[in-house]
Amino acid sequence: MARMSLDLTVNGERRKVDVDTRTTVLDLLREQLGLTGSKKGCDHGQCGACTVLVAGRRVLGCLVLAVTLEGAEVTTVEGLADGDDLHPVQRAFLDADAFQCGYCTPGQLCSAVGMLREVGEGWPSVVTPPGATVSVSSLGPDEVRERMSGNLCRCGAYVNIVPAVLAARR
Amino acid sequence: MNDVVRPVMQDAVAAAPTRVDGRDKVTGRARYAVEHPVEDVVWAWPVTSTVAKGRVTEIDASEANGTEGVIAVLTHANAPRLGETDDAELQLLQSDRVAYRGQVCALVVGETVESARAGADAVRVRYDEAEHDVVLDARHPAMFTPEKVNPGFPTDTSIGDPDTAFAVAAVQLDATYTTPTEHNHAMEPHATTASWGADGTLTLYDSNQGSTGVARVMADLFGLQVRAVHVISEHVGGGFGSKGTPRPNIVLAAMAAQAVGRPVRLALGRQHMFSLVGYRTPTIQRLRLGATTDGVLRSLVHDVWEQTSTLDDFAEQTAVISRMLYAAPARRTTHRLVRLDVPTPSWMRAPGEAPGSFALESAMDELAAACDLDPVELRVRNEPDVDPESGKPFSSRNLVACLREGARRFGWEQRDPTPGVRRDGRWLVGTGVASSTYPARTAPSQARMSIGSDGVVTVELNAVDIGTGSRTALTQIAAEAMDLPTDRVRLRIGDSTLPPAMIAGGSMGLTSWGSAIVKGARQLRELVGRRDGAIPEDGLEVTADTAEEVRAVSGYARHAFGAQFCEVRVDADTGEVRVPRLLGVFAVGRVINARTARSQLVGGMTMGLSMALHEEGVVDVQHGDNVNHDLAGYHIAAHADVADVDAMWLEEHDEHLNLVGAKGIGEIGIVGTAAAVANAVHHATGVRVRDLPIRVDRLLGRG
Amino acid sequence: MSGSVTVARSLDQALDALRSGPDARLVAGGTDLMVEVNAGRWQPGTLVSVDRAPELRGWHRDGDEIVLGSGLTYAEMERGELARLVPALAQAARTVGSPQIRNAGTLGGNVVTASPAGDTLPVLTALDAVVQIAGPEGTRISPLREFVRGVKRTDLRAGEVVTAVRVPALRGAQEFLKVGTRNAMVISVVMVAVVVDLDGHTVRVGVGSAAPVPVRAPLAEEYVGALVDWERARMDDPTGEVAAQFGELVAQATSPIDDHRSTAAYRRRAVAVCAARAVRRAFQEPESP
Repeated sequence: MARMSLDLTVNGERRKVDVDTRTTVLDLLREQLGLTGSKKGCDHGQCGACTVLVAGRRVLGCLVLAVTLEGAEVTTVEGLADGDDLHPVQRAFLDADAFQCGYCTPGQLCSAVGMLREVGEGWPSVVTPPGATVSVSSLGPDEVRERMSGNLCRCGAYVNIVPAVLAARR
Repeated sequence: MNDVVRPVMQDAVAAAPTRVDGRDKVTGRARYAVEHPVEDVVWAWPVTSTVAKGRVTEIDASEANGTEGVIAVLTHANAPRLGETDDAELQLLQSDRVAYRGQVCALVVGETVESARAGADAVRVRYDEAEHDVVLDARHPAMFTPEKVNPGFPTDTSIGDPDTAFAVAAVQLDATYTTPTEHNHAMEPHATTASWGADGTLTLYDSNQGSTGVARVMADLFGLQVRAVHVISEHVGGGFGSKGTPRPNIVLAAMAAQAVGRPVRLALGRQHMFSLVGYRTPTIQRLRLGATTDGVLRSLVHDVWEQTSTLDDFAEQTAVISRMLYAAPARRTTHRLVRLDVPTPSWMRAPGEAPGSFALESAMDELAAACDLDPVELRVRNEPDVDPESGKPFSSRNLVACLREGARRFGWEQRDPTPGVRRDGRWLVGTGVASSTYPARTAPSQARMSIGSDGVVTVELNAVDIGTGSRTALTQIAAEAMDLPTDRVRLRIGDSTLPPAMIAGGSMGLTSWGSAIVKGARQLRELVGRRDGAIPEDGLEVTADTAEEVRAVSGYARHAFGAQFCEVRVDADTGEVRVPRLLGVFAVGRVINARTARSQLVGGMTMGLSMALHEEGVVDVQHGDNVNHDLAGYHIAAHADVADVDAMWLEEHDEHLNLVGAKGIGEIGIVGTAAAVANAVHHATGVRVRDLPIRVDRLLGRG
Repeated sequence: MSGSVTVARSLDQALDALRSGPDARLVAGGTDLMVEVNAGRWQPGTLVSVDRAPELRGWHRDGDEIVLGSGLTYAEMERGELARLVPALAQAARTVGSPQIRNAGTLGGNVVTASPAGDTLPVLTALDAVVQIAGPEGTRISPLREFVRGVKRTDLRAGEVVTAVRVPALRGAQEFLKVGTRNAMVISVVMVAVVVDLDGHTVRVGVGSAAPVPVRAPLAEEYVGALVDWERARMDDPTGEVAAQFGELVAQATSPIDDHRSTAAYRRRAVAVCAARAVRRAFQEPESP
């Protein structure tokens, strides 16, 4: 069983870790770094509960081997708030009751943050009309639904997540 | 009967407190079962059977034992012996018998999750395989009549002569509906951290819907006093019925911890959840409705066939909804069961009512068409004066008010009943309605309440918040009952050492827990009053128990009601179904927190939408397995499938319920939704889909 | 998973690592392979991560062709200049899995996995894509239609790496349509890609999830190609008959099966509908939304 040492930045903090090369980012975060905010819902990339941000991009922690993240910058739900000040997306989820059991929530939050950045960079989606450009300010509910579809919620909080994401743009 | 005042609007939602544990949940601080820090902890991973019936003849663990990091391999040959309980699914690793594919036949304990899984991959199991039988069929020769249906209802009921009444009825509907295997799939897989103390006590961080019963079962299984078992369930990532009883994870974790002498974590994988934690039985339901030409029911017969396992008889109460929803002078309900080589079915949100309402409410829609009547009007015409089977008056019954208010808000009045004629480009458009109902019950619970000299009230009971918002609503109930602001109330829940309480299930959590708190608050205030408000240095404490009130026989039939309205768009060429609008209007007694209540109702409706369009456990007949056993194969509604889903409720005062005045809202949202969708699909396309889910190939392409 | 992981920082390192043994496997985005690993269905001896191999990343023009690196992610196909050059590939990419999957999953992975439901494959098939391969014996190319040999079976040999996929830069409309049983995160029931080559005067169609391998429909292509007014890039089809006939011919070229996602009969019908819609859109005949 091979091990490898790894340097990466997690929530702004430089970490040097020694990992089993088979370890996924999700297991590294949860079991070695004590960051249990990221959840294991399926371990197959089919639910989105393990969504974290790597260099600001949405990534499924369960499908990424930790050893491939040498030098990477990882942000988890624990790193979204600025001290006691919640990230606007966290605040909006709280206000809109955009969760119930809370288990998919860390993934939804990271996904929403990553998604707003993608929109800000003009990334289209399958519901973007041909030739149209998207922007954060013109984002509509259909775009939010499509772009948040990688995160399943069994409690059925979807209809509250849309207004939460839209409110968090401000 | 009560007064209907006005529907509660958005301002009530906005005014309600946000979740008291919300901040913990959005910051990732909320800890679930395998997230509590424990020293020296190791991991376990189950090995499951690859045949559906037979005996394990050999388990070769040599390679697994030689795998780096593997500490132990438990099998039926070496696992600790367990005591008896009434759940045969918990007799894990006790025999060589295989009762279904996916049953646990070994457990590997490793230093890490990776090593436990690598070890499990290396275990070789040989079987003496027998021929399996996994397909539900109404004509199965082994169909039998169970003694009762869940949770204690008579299996069959009959009033009058429904066969003759049907035979002579002017309008007859005889149709068979099916619902498939459905899986709960809470987002948090079933998980436990188990550790044994030097004094023989067992501490369990476990994901469940109520640990009072879990602790008792674990004590029985491991030969312990209940007080030697401590179950902690601080945050639980959903359950939907599947965590109402202990599941294999907690038993296996405790066994493994006992075997290796170290704390053990066991989080089931998503695949395990297709066989190890229960599911909703598939159902076959025949509805016979006989009516006058003006739509008045003369006969209502609801016959149900469903499955259980060879381990245990679990009889879903599917036809029970037909015993109380509509009037009919002659009526009958029956349930038949067959024991197959499958996992034991179990509780899933609105057990009975969810599949039963699909059949009954689809049949009512068909009857409305046959009578050339508006489906809302048909239901109004069949409104009973009293509970049709028991003859008891309803404590409150606002089904008609929900139908009327929903119709008004949804814009139902302009509806042209003709199916298949509304077209918007390539989309066929239709609308549908269905009734919702669920029993309003309460179960005995205790609450310990104390007040300190600082005036702060501490409320302790073994309730649990699985996402319903109970932590928030119970805080509100206690504050109101004590006439204090919520910040003067401390609530402790989710711990089996607290006073015993009902599970978060059967839509009975809040009503049961809240009643104990209200009773405790009355006692505590009386105690404080007797001392003229002077609270001693070490405070005052009472423990309230609602067993007596709850067990008193009520003279009323107590149920919540609702109506769901749905708009669908169906691609005329591909049959793809979209649901742009779903509205539920409910009458559920008192609503404690409008914000979390709306979320729960909308959540139930969303799961109902998912049931209508997506969810289907497909049986692999040849291997006795599930064809689809991951979330890529077993679809639940994704974000893009859910557009405008909204729930509202009528203000309803019902003094015959419980000390809270609430009916419970955990299940009713899913009741009727699938029928409302199917009825809308029929209105859009003219195609009646009687088999869930409503798949594209069931709408088109049968030829 | 019982083996170990090697991180390859170049193509050469990846090829070297693959030589370490017959049970070494490449992983890029991990969106297919890691699922197999995490499900315990497959235990690699050695995983060779090529996520960091720069030779495999990105895309570039090479004359009339576009060279798509095998490490190109779906998210990179979805947008920008590449989306304008190969719009059907962008449309297909936007329907793959979830946004998270699209940030990780790669074109090379989709090609090598060779699932009948691989979302980019109908587009690549319609484009007559050619697969570039590097291996112990040097480099070679394999036309996609020969490379994909069956359900999850390819022409890739031991020790080889798919380095790129070459497609032509065509002038003309491209369409991709997919039917699934959920609005997102869905494995397709059927997929149809239609590609118009205004210079070559051909209409090309690729169909997925309707046969063990992605299929073309030569009869349908010839039929509609002969009816297009190539000067005006228009198809005279006021009644929709041509599109419908095209759809029927495309459906006839498929050999779908019944499975838990759908029936063969439905798949045939959906292929016909999607093909007809795609060809109408490609020639900008007015179509209701």
